[in-house]
Amino acid sequence: MNTVFPLDPHPGVLVVGAGVAGLACARDLAHKGIPVTLLDRGRGVGGRCATRRIEGQPVDHGVAFLHGSDPAFLDAVRSVPGATILDGWPSRIEGTGTPCQPDAFAPGERRAAYAEGVTAFPKMMAAGLDVRLVTTVLAMHPDGALWRLDLAGGGTARARFVVLALATEETLALVDGLPPGDLELEGARHLLRMVASSVPCLTVIAGYPADAPAPAWDVAFPETSMILKDVVHDSAKRPDPKWTVLVIQAAARWSRQHAGEPVDAWTQGLLAETARLFGEWAAHPTWTQVRHWQFGRTESGNELAGPLVVEGAGGRTLGITGEVFAEGGGVEAAWTSGRLLAVRLAERTKG
Amino acid sequence: MSEALAHLEEIVDHEREHECEGIGAKRLCVRPVSVAVLPTRFGDFHIVAFWNNRDGKEHVAILRGDVVGREDVPIRMHSECLTGDALGSLRCDCRDQLEAALRKVGSLEFGAVLYLRQEGRGIGLINKVRAYALQDRGLDTVEANRALGFRDDERDYAIAAHMIFSMGMKSVQVMTNNPDKMKQLQDLGVRVTGRIPHVMPPNAYNRFYLETKAARSGHFIDFSGRAHLPEQAEPVVVEGMPEP
Ligand SMILES: Cc1cc2nc3c(=O)[nH]c(=O)nc-3n(C[C@H](O)[C@H](O)[C@H](O)COP(=O)(O)OP(=O)(O)OC[C@H]3O[C@@H](n4cnc5c(N)ncnc54)[C@H](O)[C@@H]3O)c2cc1C
Ligand SMILES: [Zn+2]
Ligand SMILES: [Zn+2]
Repeated sequence: MNTVFPLDPHPGVLVVGAGVAGLACARDLAHKGIPVTLLDRGRGVGGRCATRRIEGQPVDHGVAFLHGSDPAFLDAVRSVPGATILDGWPSRIEGTGTPCQPDAFAPGERRAAYAEGVTAFPKMMAAGLDVRLVTTVLAMHPDGALWRLDLAGGGTARARFVVLALATEETLALVDGLPPGDLELEGARHLLRMVASSVPCLTVIAGYPADAPAPAWDVAFPETSMILKDVVHDSAKRPDPKWTVLVIQAAARWSRQHAGEPVDAWTQGLLAETARLFGEWAAHPTWTQVRHWQFGRTESGNELAGPLVVEGAGGRTLGITGEVFAEGGGVEAAWTSGRLLAVRLAERTKG
Repeated sequence: MSEALAHLEEIVDHEREHECEGIGAKRLCVRPVSVAVLPTRFGDFHIVAFWNNRDGKEHVAILRGDVVGREDVPIRMHSECLTGDALGSLRCDCRDQLEAALRKVGSLEFGAVLYLRQEGRGIGLINKVRAYALQDRGLDTVEANRALGFRDDERDYAIAAHMIFSMGMKSVQVMTNNPDKMKQLQDLGVRVTGRIPHVMPPNAYNRFYLETKAARSGHFIDFSGRAHLPEQAEPVVVEGMPEP
């Protein structure tokens, strides 16, 4: 069998998913001297904390801004070396629709973004960690006292400790194939099915000449639209932007209804609605890009109190974490859930 | 107007602008906002409703007599349980515990029940119902229940401590079977001068506690065959119960 790592089995923890949850978990384990390797199918770290460079200008097309109330999280957000923090962003809010994260504007909650793009945060967390990008885990199997992961391209990786730090549906895709019989695993699986509630989000990134009538707000949550969840004035985060950029995110229901259509069709639908609400100029961007988030945000009401740790034969251990495994949802919850799991795994890797 | 009520109104008035740095790791701040007389079937009380800096949950203190500036105030912390407290669910013992606390405090010269609103968010009522659903399927495993962990003790203690300070209680005696509760309050700066065991009278619904056989690894199985989840974060003690 073809293993991708010099050491087989891996001597520490294999973390699947280098989003904020996986990174937070891996970082704390590494600080405790435990060997960790992260696997992610993406070309960069961060998962749904995603930034693209378009014509030299960073654009956040997933997470629009970070928010939280835990002092430790806020400290981490404020201490990203080399990044220009935009403390308090967004400050200009248009509309009274529900924010993407209903808690984002609750009392005690602080908000922030980065001029360089939101991936500054996960990149900082990944510094010094062993991350294998473009590495997709297709399936997992118990293998004696170990877990074996099958990777796209034919490789495998084995370890006693495996962490899944993915969207709940992606976790279920991997654990649903595991053989039945273990009660703890059954309980965990059933619980995952109960909280699997990620809603899709069709996203259009639209670029306009810098002299377009830029909106006077940072984020709009239109309360009257059945189509739009929010529109982010992304270029308001950039010093001296070359383009005025809007990131247009569709409502969950509309996303579900239109995901099967040609990209052009839903792009036009979202642009037309943006123009209807904010002015005809918005209907004619100079360029557009799109992103279809299949598992976007989690519906509120589905958060759990902490991660799952399922121990199998011979000490084979599976940790499950991600944004739903902590209160509040969003990036702060992902961060907290990853750290909670690290604490619990560190106890076990020593024993 | 009674002297006790006058003292409470003074406090509400005085705290009108209160918003401090907060208590505990979560930096929780509460502010007494309104006060009134509350006659109940368990005795005559005052009720004080609190604002807090975290969410829309309105915590309340149910006060007996004049507690302002008092030493050794008997207090009971109770975490809201909609299914038990209001609906009379038999899946937990919350209602019995609450009634026992109100009866007890109602029989004293002064004391307080701090009623902490926990339910309603992701971690709360929804997850409690999920825990029940797993139980119904025989899948209420240790890990699943832990992840559903519908209690946030840390928050409870911080809110309770702040309420104690806001009400100007100088020291308290905690009605609990869990000595850890006293320590948690002390760590937050509350002067705790004693513990009062919290004993419930036996009734048709909690009789099974009196049979040691009912205990399975610390969980009590009731007559319907269901485990009672420890929703109030402390061991239940029913009058006449054999020592564990
Ligand atoms: C459009 C949108 C807007 C949002 N806006 C905000 C916001 O403004 N503020 C906020 O706080 N939150 C926001 N959120 C929510 C936020 O993005 C998430 O809560 C958070 O990023 C989740 O982090 P995570 O680590 O749990 O998961 P993810 O970020 O999804 O990380 C999972 C990682 O696993 C990888 N992966 C998945 N399957 C496999 C596999 N089989 N093999 C290998 N790798 C795999 C993925 O590539 C990904 O990198 C938004 C989400 C979306 C979609
Ligand atoms: Zn305060
Ligand atoms: Zn209850």
